[in-house]
Amino acid sequence: MTFKRSEAQINLASNIVIISMAMLFATLFMGYAIYRSSAPVWPPYGTQKVSLLLPSLSTLILFMSSFFCHQVLVNSRKADFKKAHFNLNITIALGLGFMILQGFLWSQMKGAGLYVSSGIFASLTYAFTWIHFAHMVLGVLALFYLKKVLKPQTQNILTKTSSVGNFWYFLEIVWIIMFITLFVF
Amino acid sequence: MSGGYNEIHPEPTTFWSKYIFSFDHKVIAKQFLWYGIFFLGVGGLMALLIRWTLAYPGVPFPVIGNLLFPGSNGIVPPDTYAMLFTLHGTIMIFYAITPILIGAFGNYCIPLMIGARDMAFPLLNMLSFWFAFLSGLVLLISFITPLGAAAGGWTSYPTLSTLIGSPGAGQTLWCVAIFLFGISSTMGAVNYVTTVITLRAPGMGYFDMPLTIWGLWLTAILNAIFVPVLGAGVILLILDRIMGTTFFLAGASATSGSGDPVLFQHVFWIFGHPEVYILILPAWGIVSDLLSFFSRKPAFGAKATALSMTSISILSTLVYGHHMFTTQMSPLLTQSFMTLTMTISIPSAIFFANWLGTIWKGSIRFDSPMLFSLGVVFVFGLGGLTGLHLGTTTTDLYLHDTYFVVGHFHYTMAASVLLGGFAGTYFWFPKMFGRMMNETLAKIHFWGTMIPLNGIFFGMLLVGYGGMHRRIYNPFIYESLQRLIPVNNIITMSAILMGAFQLVFVYNFILSLRKGPKAEQNPWNVGTLEWTIPSPPPHHNYDEIPVVKCGPHEFGNPNLKTGRDFQYQTEELVQA
Repeated sequence: MTFKRSEAQINLASNIVIISMAMLFATLFMGYAIYRSSAPVWPPYGTQKVSLLLPSLSTLILFMSSFFCHQVLVNSRKADFKKAHFNLNITIALGLGFMILQGFLWSQMKGAGLYVSSGIFASLTYAFTWIHFAHMVLGVLALFYLKKVLKPQTQNILTKTSSVGNFWYFLEIVWIIMFITLFVF
Repeated sequence: MSGGYNEIHPEPTTFWSKYIFSFDHKVIAKQFLWYGIFFLGVGGLMALLIRWTLAYPGVPFPVIGNLLFPGSNGIVPPDTYAMLFTLHGTIMIFYAITPILIGAFGNYCIPLMIGARDMAFPLLNMLSFWFAFLSGLVLLISFITPLGAAAGGWTSYPTLSTLIGSPGAGQTLWCVAIFLFGISSTMGAVNYVTTVITLRAPGMGYFDMPLTIWGLWLTAILNAIFVPVLGAGVILLILDRIMGTTFFLAGASATSGSGDPVLFQHVFWIFGHPEVYILILPAWGIVSDLLSFFSRKPAFGAKATALSMTSISILSTLVYGHHMFTTQMSPLLTQSFMTLTMTISIPSAIFFANWLGTIWKGSIRFDSPMLFSLGVVFVFGLGGLTGLHLGTTTTDLYLHDTYFVVGHFHYTMAASVLLGGFAGTYFWFPKMFGRMMNETLAKIHFWGTMIPLNGIFFGMLLVGYGGMHRRIYNPFIYESLQRLIPVNNIITMSAILMGAFQLVFVYNFILSLRKGPKAEQNPWNVGTLEWTIPSPPPHHNYDEIPVVKCGPHEFGNPNLKTGRDFQYQTEELVQA
């Protein structure tokens, strides 16, 4: 059974979903701030910082994917669905690429002796990236859904595209905050 | 904002699509109602087991004791006692009150009372119930794990809830169940907020909404914002328990970087205090409407009541620290939290006064929904006043973790919400099922609930004030507490009595479902939109979307010439 919905309903609901998820990540970052501010040194003695190469590459890839994701909306507004599909495919590929890089990142951390149970620094890094990864899975599924419905006759296609896009940008913003807090400083 | 599609969905034709995987908000509401009543029974039985242990330590639980605890000759063992108070709290809050007040009444009332044909997202609505179902299943499964269910209290503070305090799988399953329930609640919240904003009938401004809808709407907003906070906390707890992270493990911070057990308390109460209002706002809304309906008077200061509920919702997000005065919080912070907590008294007093203003000089009809509503006024008043002692740092330091706290939150959350839930059930039963409940049995149920309820919860305030701590298996090993045994006996006898009277409700409910007299379209003579359509409503609710022309509490207008003392919301307000 399919149900008709208006643009206002889709927009409102997708914004509430993003607010809910933002509260989840805000709580995690609040925890980070408390651990970080109460630690005498950071990272704690005996803990090595993670190399910036893979996180930087991941940031770049996610940033590019957001650019292409935005192009999907621009193309859809111009009713150029062929180009929109092309840009959407690139967005999905970059999203999957980001996820593969995360696998390499965890493997590198393990290789450097930074295990999940190695203390609060490792706990934060692993847990935050895992939780973000789980949301990335949802994001990629949303992109695949968009790929399925991205055609002119789909009802409210522009609203659906912008809602999926907003979620994708949200994931990027969360990653950027994680990149700065967990890896850079 | 408005402009949602209010289409008629095709009627389901198979048993599965009609009763199991239904998209219809009315069916989903009933699913939540059965679910909530089932867990109310489970949580209630747990309460009786707890109370029996406190009144008669070392004595086998009567009748079913040997069946439940064969290894200890029918006596509740200490470890099981910890599981019982943990799961009693969890079940009553998340699996009984939430499904009934928010799941059942939210689903049933929101579309009908705002003139919509269904929720904005029917599929999401269905998923919300099935996630709750899955969550309940996971929680029940935790009972049969090798070391038993969670036993760290409903708040699951580390280190009681980490592997050090709870090594079994039960606590992990508790976390998973709560996370799944959080997903269900968030789905419901997205739906409720969107539905209220976009699907209100033409002409219905926010202040034309019944106060029931205000309560449910504010609850949904708080749910959408604060349930994910608990979600984050339980994810980290799950990772600590399964993956070996150290978020809540204390240790040497300079070397390995330690976790912080108290952080979980912060996270829990950032969610937990708004949760109090998440649970109680629907009951407040229902009672605010019912007091007006059964006093045959307009709700006194209805706008102020709505705005007070809104202010309380906002303030509820700023006061969580009063749950943590004893965690070595800075005095500056405790004073700030105390001041903010006291500020909540202002809007609370406004709407409480409005309740009294509503019934003042009204032509009160003491039907069962009104009796239960008046019950809420009494118990919430008492519960609210005892909250002042706990919101004040100096008195809280003495009363913290005593039965005074248990008595206080049972008066505010359990008693108010339970009585509000019964008020709503007796009121909307005719609309839901097309039959009337037996009024005599309903009144017996009311007095059989109200009197022992006060015996239980006032007794708890007394023993708490006397220094009896909560969560102790046998407090009477301490000589100073032995003088409290008689009061504990009274509390337990009251609990057994109250439990027995709930059977009257169950009997009445089942009897009325089968043999109750057919309900008229508007048996209570009120003007909100759901009473303008048949009982029970057709699948699509409204043949034509109603146009709202006046508020929900138009009673006793002397210019009315219709022979009624009320106006429907679809009628122009009669002027002189």
